[in-house]
Amino acid sequence: MSKIISVNGLKKSFGKNEVLKDINFSVNTGDVTCIIGASGSGKSTMLRCINLLEEPTGGEIVYNGQNILETKNIPAYRAKVEMVFQSFNLFDNMTVLKNCMIGLRKVLKVDKETAKKEAMFYLEKVGMLPFINAKPRQLSGGQKQRVAIARALAMKPDVILFDEPTSALDPQMVGEVLEVIKKLAAEGLTMIIVTHEMAFARDVSNHVVFMHNGVICEEGTPEEIFKNPQKQETKDFLSRFMNN
Amino acid sequence: MVEFIKEVINIFTEYRGYFLQGIGYTMLIALSGTVIGLVIGLITGIIRTIPTSKNPIIRILLKIVNAVISIYVEVFRGTPMMVQSMVIFWGYAFMNNGATLPLIPAGIFIVSINTGAYMAEIVRGGIISIDKGQFEGAYSIGMNHWQTMLHVIIPQTMRNILPAISNEFVINIKDTSVLNVIGVTELYFFTAKISKMTWSIFETYVVACVIYFILTFTITRLLRFIEHKIDGPSSYSMNIDEDDVKEDR
Repeated sequence: MSKIISVNGLKKSFGKNEVLKDINFSVNTGDVTCIIGASGSGKSTMLRCINLLEEPTGGEIVYNGQNILETKNIPAYRAKVEMVFQSFNLFDNMTVLKNCMIGLRKVLKVDKETAKKEAMFYLEKVGMLPFINAKPRQLSGGQKQRVAIARALAMKPDVILFDEPTSALDPQMVGEVLEVIKKLAAEGLTMIIVTHEMAFARDVSNHVVFMHNGVICEEGTPEEIFKNPQKQETKDFLSRFMNN
Repeated sequence: MVEFIKEVINIFTEYRGYFLQGIGYTMLIALSGTVIGLVIGLITGIIRTIPTSKNPIIRILLKIVNAVISIYVEVFRGTPMMVQSMVIFWGYAFMNNGATLPLIPAGIFIVSINTGAYMAEIVRGGIISIDKGQFEGAYSIGMNHWQTMLHVIIPQTMRNILPAISNEFVINIKDTSVLNVIGVTELYFFTAKISKMTWSIFETYVVACVIYFILTFTITRLLRFIEHKIDGPSSYSMNIDEDDVKEDR
């Protein structure tokens, strides 16, 4: 197992507000890492820093041995480390199929026929093949998120970052999205998932990171974190969740 | 009343050659002015929404360009088009020893540059009103800023500003009438000429009124129809195949 991403001493402030204070962790190829923690603990900010949607104020993010904060070609890096958002962010002016083809066509410069074939392959995987000609606004939230996952998969990334992929969904749609992510985990895709779905985090991940007030408070296997948490903050957080 | 209507119809049929020529030039100037104005608006709008660069030279260059665009927008929005026409037309003659610009191109130039100033603001507003998530979605799959603008942001901006474009077009159809001050042979110019030939001033201008209204009303309806066409149906039917769906919209 080789390290694919490691985050060393990552810091991020918005003005005087220090959101991330010295974050250190790493992800091996094939890992499914779940990041849990209360709202405002810096989970999403950290994920957005890894995708460089936010510019870190300190530290380094090493991807395949290279510090990507020094890279000139950010788009090329992002094509390898894809992101799936809470609010889907599908392109509203394109059909489902076009949404999944545009990255292949314009970023990877794949020819039209191949791009279409590959987009269809991944749309089938997420069960959205019957909707290829629909526009995003004609879809439900769960359907949109599955298309967003297919769009990320079509780029054949090394890693996919999920930023609370089910937080904007109705309860009955959460399941269909989590099923897709579980399937990808079983196929060995490297993923970092920020989530509030504790049962899902326990079942799908092999590495759980608990964040609290901008630092990593505790990390370990799902058994360690969920069955036998060491820190008081972790216990408090989990007991609040289990009671709900 | 019957006499009046007869006179109105009479004037139109008798001078229809003039009226049609006037309609032709009015529409030519208004349409080209709107299209060129939109192009100016798109270029300035895209420039003004370039994210701040880390390169200091590019940053300073952008600041200068932005300042020039701001001056252009403020000056052309802040002065009447009738005055602009005179200044541009006679200014050109002043600097070229009395040689004047050809009238129709001069008219198109004046309307374009005036519309461009308004379009600059319309397009900029359209771009910044697009959800930030659309940019992030594009960046996250590895698209650069230009690809994002070209494939994702500008197509959505165009849809959103279509009502404002149609508004500008209607304004231009009416406002080309001010170009008669430099002698452009548009609809108002011919109407004024005809009214002096018939001395039925009221009836002649009623004809012009009806013509202007038909032109603007048709354009408004046409663009509204295009808007609906772009939007397509709000629900998606799965039971039809690919080609049917395309024709259906």
